[in-house]
Order: sequence, then structure tokens, then C-alpha cells
Amino acid sequence: MAKKKENYDFSLFEYHNLMNQNILVSYKGPIDERIMTVIGENILLVTEEGSGKTKNKIFKVFMELAQNVWLYSAESCKLENGKSLGMGTLVVGEYGDYYTFVTGNVVHNTDIVPVIEKCETINSLDRDSLREYRREQRRLANEGKPNSGNIGLIQVALTAESPLDIELTPVNDDESFFSIAVKISKDNYKNS
Amino acid sequence: MNDIHIKGVHEAFFVPTVNFDSKTGVCELEGESYLEETIKFYTPLFAWIKEYTETVKGPLKFNFRLSYFNTSSSKCLVDILDMLKKYQKSGGEVEVNWYYDDSEEELEEVEDFILETGLDINIIPISEVEE
Repeated sequence: MAKKKENYDFSLFEYHNLMNQNILVSYKGPIDERIMTVIGENILLVTEEGSGKTKNKIFKVFMELAQNVWLYSAESCKLENGKSLGMGTLVVGEYGDYYTFVTGNVVHNTDIVPVIEKCETINSLDRDSLREYRREQRRLANEGKPNSGNIGLIQVALTAESPLDIELTPVNDDESFFSIAVKISKDNYKNS
Repeated sequence: MNDIHIKGVHEAFFVPTVNFDSKTGVCELEGESYLEETIKFYTPLFAWIKEYTETVKGPLKFNFRLSYFNTSSSKCLVDILDMLKKYQKSGGEVEVNWYYDDSEEELEEVEDFILETGLDINIIPISEVEE
């Protein structure tokens, strides 16, 4: 099973350089609960300059965003047991006094509009309004209203204390690559 | 009626420790809640509360000591708090204590649970508790 060099159509060295020194962790591939827990806990090891509270925030943000990739990616790999796993990319970077966490995955263009609208709503709200929005959406979910319930993105914005930096890049006529980035400052605990 | 005892697990998923005592009415939910099938896990807990409040009708004391819960779990926590509020409204004796780890964000979330459910929750910093 030795791999011949001509079997590679990319430069691992270029990839390595692209993942420059600001990138602490990167992963591309199928995402399931095992991968999430392992990478989530691995991130806690590499974000050593963060306080305990910062680490908690990173972990919470990671779990919600990675779960979205897992559940909503348009690219998936089928398992033998019939289940399928969403594919996506997770990156944690470190820039001076903050960490950045980015997730990305391919989405169907028809599915992504409400998600973008939700992100824009979240970014337009101040903290108190965001808390109210979370209460309202959780209440709707608990009353079983359809198309509600995903409060993960609201939670991410509240936990990170950061807007959701979203980007949509067309892949083909039906699909796009969607990414969400959030900043988490190294010690953003407020004493007030 | 039966008690519920579930030992917490921290593996690929995180199962909280659950101890619901039907003799004393003391219910503990602690650890981490991130589950494969959140509703499936919480459904027996809802059923226990329903049975207790309809048949035993004794006092209920809930102690939450959750260091981590994801958003899916938070929906089930609100469902539990709703049931407790309903019981209290119908004359049941209910005490709810939420132990939190000095995190402003968790404090805000519990304050939001109070606003969402109308239930009084005693918010207690773990640092003030000596055991």
C-alpha cells in the first residue's frame, strides 16, 4: 500500500505553509461526535494563553458550530450502518489577544438563505436584544413551531461576544461554500 | 414510585448525573449535558416529574450543578422548569437552586431561564458553597 509520489495532485508543503503559524488546529473531513469531542478537547490544550473562562467559551462555541457543520453540510460521507456524516472544515487561529474560530461547509443555495438572514438578525442586535431573541426562539422551539429551534447561532454570538463573520462563495449553480468566523478574546470576562 | 439514578459519563457524548428521589423530592442534575438524543434522554425525567407531581404531590427541590450544557439540552432544561412552575402554580411546593461557576454568561442564561419560565430560581455561586 505504499503511495507513489505521482499519486498526489497537491503540495502538502504548500498546504502546510498556508496553515501558517497563526493556525493552531485545522481539520477537514467528516464530522461526528467522536471527532467533535476529540478536537474540542484538543483545542483546549493548544489555547494555552486563554483563561479558564476563555477556554470554556471556545469549547461552547466549537461544539455549537461544529454540530451545525455535522448536521447541515451538503457534503456527506455514507457509513456502513446507513448513517451519513456531514463534511466540513474547522480552523482555530490565534491572533495577538484573541482566538478566531472558523467553520465552513458546502451548502445547497436553497437552504442557506434563512441561515444568512438569521446571522444578519443576530449581528444587528445588542446583547440584551440577543438574549431576548434566544428566549423567544427557545420558547418557539419548545412549543414545537416548525423552522425554529436552532438557537445555536444565537448562543455562539452570546458566548463569543462577537458578531458572526459570514462568507458565502459560490461553488456551482446549486451549491456554495458557507463559512462562519467568530473572535474570542483571550480574557473577555467582564467584572461589571 | 421509582427513583431515577443515572451516573454521568464524559465520553464522545456527555451524560449528566441524575438523582431524582421520590421519597424526599430532592432532584439533582449535575455535570455536563451534551447528548446523542437529547429528548430521548430527558423524556423519562419529564415523566418522573409528571408522575411525582400528580401522584406523590410532595415538595420538590431541584439542584442544578451543570458545568456545561449545549443549546439542545437548554430546551429540555426549560421544559423541566416549565413543569416545576406549573406544579408551583397548582399549589405544589417547589425550590430550585442553580449552582454556577462564577461565569457571567451562565448567570445571564439562568436569569433568562427565570424570565422565560416565570419560576423563581436561587442562583448560588459555587465559590460560596462549602462542602
